Formats: sequence, structure tokens, C-alpha cells
Amino acid sequence: MKKIFVFISIMFIFVLAACGSSGSEESSGGGEGEGSEDWKPEKNVEIVAPAGAGGGWDTTARSVGKILEEEDIMDKSVGVVNKEGGGGAVGWSYINSTNNPHNIFVSSPPLVFIPLNGQSELSYEDFTPLANMIADYGAFAVDADAKWNDLNELFEDMKKDPSSVTVVGTSSPGSMDHMQFVSIAKKAGVDIKKIKYVSAQDAGGMTQIMNGSADVYSTGVAETVEQVKAGEVKVLGITAEERLDGEVLSEFPTAKEQGIDATFVNWRGFFGPGDMTDAQVSFYEEKLKKVSESDAFADIRDNYGWNEMYMNSEEYKEFLQKQTEELGTLLDELDMGQ
Amino acid sequence: MLKTMNQKVSIFLILLAVGYLYAAYNLKKYPYVPVDADAVPKVLGYLLIGLAIILFFDKSSETEEDKEKRDVPKKEIPIMLGVGGFIFLYIFLLEILGFVVTSALFIFGCSLFLGYSRHVMNAVVSIMVPGVLYVTFTYLLNIILPQGILPF
Amino acid sequence: MGAMEGIAQGFQVAFSLQGILFVLIGVIAGTLIGMMPGLGPISAIAIMIPVTYGMEASVALIMMAGVYYGAVFGGSTSSILLNAPGISGTVASSFDGYPMAQRGEAGKALAIAAISSFVGGTVSVVLLMLFAPMLSQVAVSFGPAQYFALMFLGLTAISSLSDGSTTKALITATIGFMTATIGLDGQTGTSRFTFNNPNLMEGIDFLVIALGLFAIAEVCFLIIKRKDTSLSDQGDIGSLRLSKEDFKEMRGPMTRQSFLGFLLGVLPGAGATIASFIGYISEKRIAKNPEKFGKGSIKGLAAPETANNAATSGAFVPLLSLGIPGSGTTAVMLGALLVLGIQPGPLLVQESPDVFWGIIASMYIGNIFLLILNLPLIPYIAKILKISRPLLISLVIIFSLIGVYSISFNTFDLYVLLFFGVVGYFMRILNFPAAPFILAFILGGMMEQSMRQALTASGGDVMALISDPVSISLYVVSALSFIVPLIRTRKNRPAA
Repeated sequence: MKKIFVFISIMFIFVLAACGSSGSEESSGGGEGEGSEDWKPEKNVEIVAPAGAGGGWDTTARSVGKILEEEDIMDKSVGVVNKEGGGGAVGWSYINSTNNPHNIFVSSPPLVFIPLNGQSELSYEDFTPLANMIADYGAFAVDADAKWNDLNELFEDMKKDPSSVTVVGTSSPGSMDHMQFVSIAKKAGVDIKKIKYVSAQDAGGMTQIMNGSADVYSTGVAETVEQVKAGEVKVLGITAEERLDGEVLSEFPTAKEQGIDATFVNWRGFFGPGDMTDAQVSFYEEKLKKVSESDAFADIRDNYGWNEMYMNSEEYKEFLQKQTEELGTLLDELDMGQ
Repeated sequence: MLKTMNQKVSIFLILLAVGYLYAAYNLKKYPYVPVDADAVPKVLGYLLIGLAIILFFDKSSETEEDKEKRDVPKKEIPIMLGVGGFIFLYIFLLEILGFVVTSALFIFGCSLFLGYSRHVMNAVVSIMVPGVLYVTFTYLLNIILPQGILPF
Repeated sequence: MGAMEGIAQGFQVAFSLQGILFVLIGVIAGTLIGMMPGLGPISAIAIMIPVTYGMEASVALIMMAGVYYGAVFGGSTSSILLNAPGISGTVASSFDGYPMAQRGEAGKALAIAAISSFVGGTVSVVLLMLFAPMLSQVAVSFGPAQYFALMFLGLTAISSLSDGSTTKALITATIGFMTATIGLDGQTGTSRFTFNNPNLMEGIDFLVIALGLFAIAEVCFLIIKRKDTSLSDQGDIGSLRLSKEDFKEMRGPMTRQSFLGFLLGVLPGAGATIASFIGYISEKRIAKNPEKFGKGSIKGLAAPETANNAATSGAFVPLLSLGIPGSGTTAVMLGALLVLGIQPGPLLVQESPDVFWGIIASMYIGNIFLLILNLPLIPYIAKILKISRPLLISLVIIFSLIGVYSISFNTFDLYVLLFFGVVGYFMRILNFPAAPFILAFILGGMMEQSMRQALTASGGDVMALISDPVSISLYVVSALSFIVPLIRTRKNRPAA
């Protein structure tokens, strides 16, 4: 059977290449206390990435899953399941309907936006925040030859005539790239209803500011670094609280230091289904904290340009409440809230 | 009345277009863009109605050969529906019984239903193919397929 | 340091024992992943990222490039043999590849695909090497208005994708375009035609439609013909025999599409799928005997296969020279680079020449390996068609189902697949061509978004769409491609 031969060669190659990247570690680690308050997973843990392979959620889920397994933090194996659709809504309803403490998922601000936009019935309140892991910040970039040199110059022009400036981002209006710009512009006193916002997929935003189709690119900090280094674009401001570390990153001024008292965090963390016991929550909290503190995860953060931002379940919940209120107000003002 | 196939299809298409247009007219308005989400769908809806009307009066395009294509032997229809039923059942059971079991049952059952008589070969293929795919996806590629009732 | 030195250095990396070994592993893994239902280059690379943790950057990249190439290459197999495209870039390959395989020339079809892929891949790597810095300017020169014009040009080709009634072709195209409007609208966030079903929010995946309209619909016909054993009785379906004439016929499309495919690949957003369609259509347009297309024409297979591979390396231009990922695949590739601690950007060539040239050199080697590895395997792979029909039908169905499931892991999409299978079946018996549906689906969505981006930026001024030389010339070509065939049919039509 030639087919069997082909399949055997598949496996051979993968075993060769993967060299034990999979497979569960039985024993070792986590043998501590069988007391009644402690909870331990009885079967393999599933991390759901509510998006397809390759995106931010998927990358976070896979790297955390890998560290949980390889650093022997968890003694059960951890698999990543992709549930794509509805900007996350499909994955959320999967977690909600399976309601199994072995299934957790990774999420970020769309978990706040999408319910506010009325595109999902489920919101963060239907889930249990376990721990936040990382933070990413927004950056507003313009072409290197653009007339603006800082956010205030840009916003001055936009105050006079908001329609003279086109903002481009990857997400659709009412979500990430749009809202991070709106929340900063609002604080600066721009009429946010008149902002012209265009959504361009596949990194089209960068090319659009470079060829002049749009003026400002609202994106993540990491996406701009190389272009700034090469002198193609300049970053007018970022949405972080303080300046970031890194050779180019530290040159980006925050909106705050330019006198605009607003920040925007693109957080990313883990959630479980709605009803979880305290023991289950603290189990995940502890494991995820270990991941967050590991050297392996520090390397991954550095490579992707993510910042550490660990929050435990309690802190996370408060943080989300606050963000939901703020964004809800903004969306209502844009008549986009539901 | 509706003599030709084209006319029947045309009526169906007009109904489809009307339904689509109805939904397009009821889309939520978004005030901040010059061309809203409903513009292109409206154009498409009317375009389809126009094309369907042209099709209604189009008598030229049915050749004998074309008609022959439509001539599906009567006894094959239940078989096609049967396979459709198998697929339906497969989708329904996939996440309940798991990938390996459902796929094995599907391959064996469907091949048998279509008249495959080498039962041993059939059984071997229906176990081997899903088994190997499952192992490859789950353990080598780290893509998790529904595990279902099997313990691994 | 000159380019020559860089190339030499790159080849040194790629030609080291380690380099060759990892290219080899990469292309084999890539080909096999590509052959798996639903797994294309995006998943192949995403899957390989964890594998490369801790590897030396240049070596890991060489392997990645191999995986990428291999996956595009492997995807065509199921398109040709089963009419079930494994990835979107090879949908057009099934138009002529499948009829050829059904004729008993499966081996020949796979060989043509392999050779055209090799040529497309190699020529485009040469172009990449010579012109990457220059073309990086082309990549960023396209704004929404130009994309709109480009998509428009693609859509004018719809009538040429059908041999029968133009009305029917236009109707299927309109419905394809309508299908593309399902889901969240990018420019406003409005959910369109989703009936509040979250499964429809992100729209319907291209591959679900392609597998439904082609593979599942074809299954219905296979069921009717299931007792037909002509293929399994035929002796040598795996034969690779290509005559001199065959090569002659391939030469034109291979040369032209290597260049055209590469250029389309350079444009962010266009990518291998669109390149393969435009490759197919443009060859049909200029062919002396366009009626052969769709019935197993050598040109019709060579064109998309060359174009999609050429586009694959074209997509590396914006990635390597600008750090801008122009497609889903190169976006994942960018992620892979980041994990390795490499920041691709305009300065990559200066800062890490070993990486830049190493990737390019590995592409040459990868292409050669792919050809050497695949040609001898073809006779065996082609024998899949000898499997008894009832069993083959079950396997094709399973292949399509897993293919769709492994994209979204959602059974809802499987029902959608079944639905499009039924639609595809009725379209076939009613003589509505499926290709315009697919084409309008991919181009239409992008066309609408580009148009609205341009109009938002201009504040609603329509002139923004037709104000620059690039778009104007694209419209002129569109107009010509519409008028010329019209005149031709007038001439051919008997006086009536």
C-alpha cells in the first residue's frame, strides 16, 4: 500500500522536526495537596482561541499552552482549539455552552467591544476572568513627510476640520483601532462624530499612509517600529501610560506627556466559563502567574513586543468593569452602542 | 405558463433578489460614511432582478445536450438523498461521538450504501484513514479534532 | 556590501548540510500538510512556529520557506485528482486539471502542475532577487482606488469564464458577489444578512464555497456514474509522459504567468488566489482555442499553477523589503520571523543580509527539491483514482468535511458546505457555471471595500476613483477585454 507509505513518511518527518513538541508529561510537577479546597484538572485542558490560526489570540494561546506544558507548570497536557467566527462570538458561545472548567479561552478588548456593539449576546460578565497576561499599546503613525510632528498639531487641524484627515486602521468601526483613536481624540477635544475612519485589511493601513490614501494609521506599537527605523513613517503618539522600553520604542511620546490625559490598553488574558469555583479560579491564577514570570514567556513577550501586565482574577474584573463603562460612553456618543 | 426551465429559474431568482433587497433596505444605518453598507447590496439586488428578467425571455440557450444533463435517472435520486442524509448525520454526530468514530462509520457506511462489496478492505480503510488523520492532526500538528467517546 | 556577495553568503547558508536538511524537511512537511484537507500555507506555517523555538534564525527561516512553498505545491494535488481544492490558491487549477485527470491523464496533469509550479517559483525568485527593492515601491503605490480598478478588471473577465450563456454567467457572478456581502461590513461594522447568527458574522469562508460548489457537487455526479470503471480499468493513469507539443503549449503560459503572477503577488491583498484566477482568465483570453479551456487544456492548468507559485514569492517582496505582510500567509510568516527575533523591515537587507539572502537562496533549493521529490511520487499519488468509486466517493466527502472543519472547527460551516454542494449540483444541471460565482465572491468583497475606502477618504467624491494614471489604464484594459470578445462573437455567430 503506497498510501500507507506516504503516511508513515509524514509521521517520520514530523517526529524528526517536532522532536517532542507534543505529548503529555505524566508525573512530575503539581503533586501537591489533595485537600478538598484544591482543584486539579481531571483531564486535558483546552485553551480556546476564538479565531483562526496565526492571529494574536492564537499566538498567545499557543505560546502559553506550550510553556504550561514544557516548563512542567501543568501536569495535564494543554491543547489549543481554534473556534473562529463572529469576531470571537462563536468561541465564546462554545465556552458558554460546554461550561467545563477544563476549557478556558484567551481574549482581548473585542470581548468588551463586540457585546457593546450588539454583535454578541455574551459579554465578559458571562465568563470568569482568570488572569491577564500582557498589554499592548496603540500607536498613531503618519507618513515621514506629513506636516504634523506631534498629536497636538494633528488634533488642532482636526478640531478645525475633522474631515480633512483620514484615519485608517485594521479593525472595523467600533472596534480596536477605531476606538483607541477616538478615545484619545475625544480627550483632545475633537468632534469624534466627524472623524473619517477607513478600515483596511491585510496591513493595508501602512501602505495607505505611505502612498497618501490616508493620513493617520491607528495600529499597534510593534507594527510601526521597523518603518520608523527606516525613516518611512513617524509616530505622533502612543496610548501607553509611560514611555516604553526598547531602542526605537522609547522615542515614542505618549499622548499623556503631550497633555492629552488618555490611555488605551490592548490587554490580553484568559477567561473561563461562567460558573467556576474559587478553587478552580485560583488554580488557573497560580499557573498563569507562573507562566507570566517564566523566562520563556519573557522571551516571547520581547520578540512580539508585548508588555507584561499580570492581573489576577479580582483585579482583572475591576479593570474590565471600568473599561466597559468608558467604552460604552464613547460608543453611545457615536450612536454605535446597543 | 412557465414553460421553459429558464422561466422557472428566473422566478426563483427574482424571489431571491426581492428577499435580499428587503434585508438590504432594513440594514442598520451608519451615519459617518458617504457610502453606507446597504449601497452595494441594493445595486446587486436590482441587478439580479434585471438579469433574471433577461433570463425569463431568453429562449436560445437550451440545447438538447443541456437538457440531457438534467436527465438524472430516477432511481439515483434516492441514493443521492441517502448520501446527503449520511453527511447530515456525520455533521450532527461529529462533535458527539468524536472524529475517529464518526468518520469510520461514515466511510464504511457510505461506501457500503453505494455498493462497495469488499468488506474487509472497507473496514481497514475506514479505520486507518480517520485514525491516521487524527493522530497526525492531534499529536503531530497540534490541531485538536473532536475526541468524543474515545479515551485518546 | 554588494548583492553578489550577499547572494553568495545566502547560498552558503542554504547549501550547508544543515541548510539542505532543513529545506528538505520543510518542503516535505509543507507538501504533506498542503495535501491535508483544509490545511494550506497559513496553517502550515502557524503549525511550524513552535517547532522552530530555539533554532538558529537563518536555518529556521529556510525551513519555513520550504514549508510555505511545499504547502502551495501540495495543495494542487487534491484539486486535480478529486476536484476538491485543498487551499484557495489552487481552486483555478481544478478547472482544467480535474477534467484532465478524469480523462485518464492524472499523472500528466500532476506533472504539468509540478513543472509549472517549479518554473513559476524559480522565475519569480529570480525576479524577487533582482527587483525586490525596486518593486517595494510598486507594492505601496496601490491605494484603494487602484485596487478598485484592478478588481474591476478581474470582474470583467466573468463572461469569459463561461462557454454558455453570458446571462447565466452574470447571474451566478451576481449571486457570488451577494454571498460576499454576508457578514460584518468592514467599513461600518454593520452585520449584513447574518440573521443574528454569530457563525455568519465573519462571512463565509472562500474554501467552504469552493469545496461545496466543486467537490460536493461533483460527488453527486460521481454517484450517478459510480459503476463506471473506465478509470480503474485504464492501464497507466499515472504516466508522466509529456510530449514535445505539450511542453510547447506550456511554454507560453509559464513564461507570461511567472511575471504576471509575481507582480500580482507583490501587491498586498491580491495574493496567490487572485493571481491564479487572473492567470487562468488571461490565458483563456489570448488563447487561439479558448473553447478547450475547462475541458482539460494544458494551458488552462499550467497558467494558474505557474501564477500561484509566482505570486507566493511575489508576496515576499513587501514582507522582506518593507516589513509589510500583504497576505494572510505572509502575516503568519511575519509572526514566525518575530519569534525568531527578526524584525523584517526596510532595513532587513542591510542589518541581517544572511537572513534575507538565506531565504532567497533556500527558495531556489526548495523549488528544486519539490520537483525532484514530487515527480517520482506522481505515479503513486495518481493511483488514488483507481480506488473503487463507492469508496472514493466516501473519501472525497470526508476530505471535504475535514477540510472545512479544520478551518473554523465549527460544525455550522459543514452545513454551509452541504448547502453549497446542493446549490452547486443544481447549478451544474441547470447549466449555470460555478467559476464566475467563485471569482465574483473573492473579487467582489475586496472591490466593494476598496471603493468605499476611497470614497470615505475623498468625502464622497467619485472622481477619486478615476483620477490617476494607474487606475485609468486599468479601466482601459477592462474596457478592451470586454469589447474585444464581443466583436469576436459577433463575427463567429452565423448571420441571423
